[in-house]
Amino acid sequence: MSHLGSLVSALIDGELAGTELDRANAHLAGCAACRAEAAQLRELKHELRTLGDLDGAGAGAITSRLLAMIGPTGPTGPTGQSGPVTARRLQRQPGRRARRRRGRYAMWGAMSLVVVGVGAAAFGMGGAPSGNEPQITPQLELFDMQHALTSGDVPFADPTDSTGTRAQGAAKGPAAGPVKASSVKASSVKASSVKTPVYASLRASAEATRP
Amino acid sequence: MRRSPALLVSAAVTVTIPGVLAILAILGHQHAVAATDAMTVTAISDDSAVGPLPSAPTGTQPAVRDSVASVQRTSGTPVTVLSDVAASQQAFAMSLLSRAAAAGQATSYQGVERSSQTGVDGTVTMVSQVWHQGGGLTFIRTSGGATSVISYESTDRSAAGVFGVTKSMVALLGQHYVAVYRGTGATGGRVAAIVEVYRFDGSLAARFWLDSRTLVPLRREVFDPSAKLVSDDSFVQVQIGAVTDRPAAATAVSAASGTAWVTASSPAKQLATLAGQGWKLPATLTGGLPLYAVAWTGTGTDQVTDLEYSDGLYVISLFVQRGALAPSMAGWQSMSLNGHYVDVCGHSVTWAGHGLVYTMIADAPPQTVAAVVAALPGSVQPGLVDRLGRGLDRLAHLVDPFG
Repeated sequence: MSHLGSLVSALIDGELAGTELDRANAHLAGCAACRAEAAQLRELKHELRTLGDLDGAGAGAITSRLLAMIGPTGPTGPTGQSGPVTARRLQRQPGRRARRRRGRYAMWGAMSLVVVGVGAAAFGMGGAPSGNEPQITPQLELFDMQHALTSGDVPFADPTDSTGTRAQGAAKGPAAGPVKASSVKASSVKASSVKTPVYASLRASAEATRP
Repeated sequence: MRRSPALLVSAAVTVTIPGVLAILAILGHQHAVAATDAMTVTAISDDSAVGPLPSAPTGTQPAVRDSVASVQRTSGTPVTVLSDVAASQQAFAMSLLSRAAAAGQATSYQGVERSSQTGVDGTVTMVSQVWHQGGGLTFIRTSGGATSVISYESTDRSAAGVFGVTKSMVALLGQHYVAVYRGTGATGGRVAAIVEVYRFDGSLAARFWLDSRTLVPLRREVFDPSAKLVSDDSFVQVQIGAVTDRPAAATAVSAASGTAWVTASSPAKQLATLAGQGWKLPATLTGGLPLYAVAWTGTGTDQVTDLEYSDGLYVISLFVQRGALAPSMAGWQSMSLNGHYVDVCGHSVTWAGHGLVYTMIADAPPQTVAAVVAALPGSVQPGLVDRLGRGLDRLAHLVDPFG
């Protein structure tokens, strides 16, 4: 059997009439659960009406009644059998405030940690190249050759790429002893690759280094 | 002790005659050298005028100078602004350089070149052997390492190893400098015609030695505006004529030359196309180096674009490609150029920014390189706010890849 449900509230409020009212009353007669619910609702509405009367009495009356509840010796207990308000002593409670303060500190600390953490992560990630961009090491062999072709100079190689090296200052010629030659980029081309077209091999090496 | 007059006479004759002969030989040699010089100059041209050094009148406004120079360039006449050098002298010197560019291609030669260049990372000296077959291939092998050969065809390009004396470089040189023939000298064991190149303010910018008989370039010195030697390239030993002892591998490597790069017919149009793709690159670099050639290799995201800037003396090749620099690059050294963070390897400089990687190879003074880097995009390390902003964007992208 289904219960009255929301009809209980309508019944208490006097909003039912006719056959609906008859059927609700008939159900209440045979259903203890709905009767209990109806009783609770009536009590609740009674209490709400009481509060409404308080509002109507004005702020001054409420204040005086609250003061009377507190009294000089402490709370006086329930104001009545159906009164919903329970007055308690209003006094400083150091433990609760301290707890609140600690909670506030914890909250600020957590927020600071989050901000610092996100900031550090953003700083770190902002300096690094994007993961979406191909990471490139310039192909000096290819570029030096192109530069030499357009400028009409001997290709000037990466000095660290050679077995020889690099000399500071002026040289006195190829037989000058300690003055070594910075070998051209081609020095990095293995002997076995000499027989392949230079450009082709350089381009292949360029592509091989791409991610 | 009694001395014999005959002995004394014979001793005097023994000492005197060889001495006189030696003096005569020396005088004869000097006379012969002088005659050779005279012959060389005459062989180069009847117009061997050597005028005064160019100098800039004081108090003249640069804007006026540039304006007049521009008119002269447009009209095709040699730029003579603020120069005491007559137009005919400049024309003669430019003619020598033009003929030298042609000779560098058409003449066979071989020898040992020494190149010394000062870059942002110090001075680098390199020695290489060069073989050039007239009208054909150039082979370059460096000493000090394993035998390797680079070769390429010099069809529409000039051969390397001619000290920058190419057709296109000479044309640019005539627009930005004043050239003067300065007589003859010697280099690499050969008599050479010397052409000096001056800036419009009268300062010496470069000096070329051209073989007096063939005009093949033998040596070049380049100076910065403060008269400091920036590079010195020369044949320390050269043989002009038949090429011998060419590397055996040369014929095998000659094939693919020139096919890797596609040259744009119009650099200006190509620059506009790149700008449309978001590549903001200048038509003129800091220091007045104009863009004169654009080429590219590869396709799509792997494409590398080469922008060539030069005034005929300084050459800057700027290679641009999409991507970011690898975190670790062997042989590259991080450094700051006037507050701009770059990686340097020899005379190559690279940096990244805005999704592009720039690699610059420069035949130019270090201060020019630093100024050019500063003016190009991307070399400045991002400030704290920019860096945090970029990092937050990436974090947001990690949290919500579709956001």
